[in-house]
Amino acid sequence: MSDKKQHAAQSHEEHLREKHLMLDPLPRGKMNDMVMESMLEKPTWKFWVIFGFLAFVVVYFLFYKWGVLIAKGQGEAGVMRPDYWGIFLVNTVFWIGISHAGTFISAILRVFRAEFRRPFTRAAELMTTFGLVQAGFSIFMHMGRVWLAYWLMPYPNQRLLWPNLHSPLTWDLLAITTYLLSSTMYLFLPLIPDVAMARDRSTGWRKNLYKVLSLGFRGTEGEWTHLRNAMNIFAWAIIPVMFSVHTIVSWDFAAATRPGWSSTIFGPYFIVGALHSGMGAAAVVLAVIRSTMKNMKYFVRGEHFDAIGKLMLIISMSWAYFFFNDYMVQWYGGDKWTQQLLHFHEAGPMGWMWFAMLICNVAIPWAILWNPKWRATPWAITIVGLVINVGMWFERYIIIPISVTINRMPFTWRLYEPGIEVPMGIGTVALFILLYMAASKLIPLIPVWEVQEGQMAHELKKFGRETVVSVSELE
Amino acid sequence: MTESKVVDLLAVFPDLEPAANAIEYLREIGVHDDCMNVISGIPVTEAMLGRPAQWTNVPRIAMGGALLGFGAGFFLAYITPYVYPYPIQVSTQAFIPGPPTVVVLFELTMLGMLLSTFLGVFLDSFFPNYRPMKYVTEVSNGKIAVLVECPHGEEKKLTEALKKMGAESVQPAEAQHL
Repeated sequence: MSDKKQHAAQSHEEHLREKHLMLDPLPRGKMNDMVMESMLEKPTWKFWVIFGFLAFVVVYFLFYKWGVLIAKGQGEAGVMRPDYWGIFLVNTVFWIGISHAGTFISAILRVFRAEFRRPFTRAAELMTTFGLVQAGFSIFMHMGRVWLAYWLMPYPNQRLLWPNLHSPLTWDLLAITTYLLSSTMYLFLPLIPDVAMARDRSTGWRKNLYKVLSLGFRGTEGEWTHLRNAMNIFAWAIIPVMFSVHTIVSWDFAAATRPGWSSTIFGPYFIVGALHSGMGAAAVVLAVIRSTMKNMKYFVRGEHFDAIGKLMLIISMSWAYFFFNDYMVQWYGGDKWTQQLLHFHEAGPMGWMWFAMLICNVAIPWAILWNPKWRATPWAITIVGLVINVGMWFERYIIIPISVTINRMPFTWRLYEPGIEVPMGIGTVALFILLYMAASKLIPLIPVWEVQEGQMAHELKKFGRETVVSVSELE
Repeated sequence: MTESKVVDLLAVFPDLEPAANAIEYLREIGVHDDCMNVISGIPVTEAMLGRPAQWTNVPRIAMGGALLGFGAGFFLAYITPYVYPYPIQVSTQAFIPGPPTVVVLFELTMLGMLLSTFLGVFLDSFFPNYRPMKYVTEVSNGKIAVLVECPHGEEKKLTEALKKMGAESVQPAEAQHL
């Protein structure tokens, strides 16, 4: 081979190693140190300013306002006939949607052995747990007499009456509780080896914290076998649980015979919508982690944004398909009230939101994500992720308070005007970011052992004169 | 107090290959597989090390949990409506409606399965365990540690053999707080 050709082949290999984390291994000790450094790095003043500001927002907008709502009653909120659900339920559906990205990335991609998932499974799993906390808060806020929430628990009251387990309200309770518990356990299991690693490298209170969290994990053959088996069971079983949660949330609407809601396609439509907002949020979180935390540029690369971008594009197309399918059937049905509602969506006072939803969920993602270069650019994909989340919030707003404005009793028609629920919703966003910031300083955000396991399986292989990335099946 | 007849040796290997070779050698000189344990920072499969497959109860515990969950769902969906002394029949609606029952059964079966899978890891691995244990922190740096039970008096012979097989260090294993 001539020198020129050899040089070209070498630079191609170098390019592949630079591009793919799995082909660019570092000694395990060094990778551990990098992750520990990112976690232990002394927070800058900017970190504390943002942290303090978010803490204030949480205390004032979420908890203080909630106290006001409890003291003065639901009249403080804008919910009244015909809009009894309002932003409380918009936010519930929105946060459950965000929580779907964690399971999608961690479980579905694990089942399909999509290798690019490895460095960001934990970041996504954290989104699931923290998102579900916000969804739970949003439901409790709407409950009014929140101290009576235990009435939903399946046990008999003084008159030996049990809660009606066949009612959609209890399906929500069962599905969300199951999903919250399982996603928290699914977050914790793969975290054990990483906190054990952190335990070996810490002193003081951190050492004690990691010692407790690592449960005495050493990495024996037996411990790995039990862990691997459990993670496989979780990866398979949590997928139908994830599907069931958002399907059941969609039934809260679809099971009613209201115009705009009574649709057999609402289950999958909601799931795709959840994945749409969840993947958008995952892209944003990943870009923020990469740009603000030390050493993260090694772990999170353009290839990861490119892969997430492709998924976002596919999900955006699926969402458009489901939206059009739902719209088409309702439009063609010719029901008088449904026609009124569809006209109200597009030409009513909130018509701008309907068009903005389509621009944010379809036009902008399609215009940007088709381009591989833009897909691999963190700031571009962050913008698309944010825009999708705005669009998906609008979608839930249109489905809930705007759609119930038009019903079969025209004398009740009234456009929803939100009240105290707006700052409370902002409070949930602040709490989500705050929890994430705290987690970034307390637990390793990169699952180092999973990354190294992947690096063990990858190599460059020559087929004739072509060098390609090859991956072995290790399990 | 009687003195223990065996001593645990902890050999640290830089990589998978020498560790696998050492395990093969140990077996050749008569050390039984039950007298060895491998500690690693990443999940190294038994096949890679030439070790027998590890037994795990996690899938069985998961199935048991799924059955318990199904039972709990059955109780809530089928039994509780009858527990009230005056069962409430609403018009012509089914007393135990089918489709909503499926939802309850599904959610509780999955909850039972996933909770018991999680507990299964704790039971099988004896977690949490905060007693002193035999361990070296180099493991989390990518080294592979082989823990061998060695009859008293043969430590020197085995230490030399393990070093010859590529062990970076071989020491009597001492239980320590992690």
